[in-house]
Amino acid sequence: MPARALRIGIGGPVGSGKSSLIAALCRELAGEIAVGVVTNDIYTTEDAEFLRAEGVLEPERIVAVRTGCCPHTAIRDDITINLEAVEELERDADPLELVLVESGGDNLTAIFSPALADVQIFVIDVAGGDDIPRKGGPGIARADLLVINKTDLAPHVGSDVERMLADATERRGDLPVHALTLAAPPFAQPVSQWIREQLAQYVQAGGHLHSSASGAPDDHHRHPHKH
Amino acid sequence: MGSGAVASLLLADSRFPAGSYAHSLGLEQAVAEGLDANGVAAFIGARMRLVATADAALGVAARRAARDRSAQRLAELDAEHAARCPSPVLRDIARRLGSQLLRSAATAWPCETIERYRAMSTSTPRPVALGVVGRAAGLSDLDVATVALYDDAATVASAALKLLGLDPALTARWIADLGPELAGAARRVAFDPRPVAQQPPPAAIGLELAASRHADREERLFAS
Repeated sequence: MPARALRIGIGGPVGSGKSSLIAALCRELAGEIAVGVVTNDIYTTEDAEFLRAEGVLEPERIVAVRTGCCPHTAIRDDITINLEAVEELERDADPLELVLVESGGDNLTAIFSPALADVQIFVIDVAGGDDIPRKGGPGIARADLLVINKTDLAPHVGSDVERMLADATERRGDLPVHALTLAAPPFAQPVSQWIREQLAQYVQAGGHLHSSASGAPDDHHRHPHKH
Repeated sequence: MGSGAVASLLLADSRFPAGSYAHSLGLEQAVAEGLDANGVAAFIGARMRLVATADAALGVAARRAARDRSAQRLAELDAEHAARCPSPVLRDIARRLGSQLLRSAATAWPCETIERYRAMSTSTPRPVALGVVGRAAGLSDLDVATVALYDDAATVASAALKLLGLDPALTARWIADLGPELAGAARRVAFDPRPVAQQPPPAAIGLELAASRHADREERLFAS
């Protein structure tokens, strides 16, 4: 067994649905996998409170850290606050298999340090504008999984989901993209299935996963990947 | 500049990953209770003359204890910090900041000095941790005192930019203006012949009490 839980970073702009996705993932996974969550709230502890109120995890499995107006710093440039929180959670909760670290909402350049997250998910939504995948940036291009959320809203906000998927695929090469809505089946199921696969690979490899976000930008285009 | 100069700059640089960007060191609560932009420089100066000087003295003593490989003296300094910091909120903050500093320093300057202290200390107060790291990184007593005082002032000034609408060059000027007094304070701390236990403990009770009010608030940007 790996020495510690698999750590998955979940980033993306404000309002793209990171907290709702995490709640849905916990609902789907908590019965089979021991999950903990670290939230990085901006001003209140609303994200952590939301997850606690959803009742998908025991309250002690959810911790919030404050990042002094610097959500991107806390996941990339100075990750010590989050590392301490993750390790405290792993120490205090029963043996955890999976820790989800939710970034405070930020811009398209925010990406997790590989020293904090073994792999990472970037969440955008159709209402933020269907040109976002084309605009690119590290989160869009290099996250191990890209989620395009709120597809049910696309007709109401004039967004073209197929175009977003095509633009994202062009940016990402072989890396996976899922367009989904949490308002209708299959809900977060494509993401929870991806997490199960990551966890299985992580356990099989004795606690190591190669993230597409590691190394130099676009490095992942130069060597073969297993996902 | 001495051999520890680069290490001093690195430790004082907010880009060194030690978590201080999430802290206002009491400024957020002071602003919430009425302090305005005109009062921040005085707030920084008061911290420097009181708690930051006490912290710097602990750092200098910790550097010497680490140099002498005295686990017993380091444990005593952990206790001296707790005795000077009655607020459980601030003790917890100091433990976290110390732990974060030691974590990154253990990678930046890998050595037994840091590992031994990490293994023995349960409270890892940041002032003591800074002295241990200072020893590992080649800082002198004066370097440790200067970094301790500078870092305290710069952390508050940086938080001020986010809490109050300010010209960032103006907050830099506050630190520049403080320079001569800060350097003098660092020299006094570094060359004080008395052991820490016999130095006056300059407390700031207002800050201790405000820290608890801050921790109880729902809406806040900073961890302290």
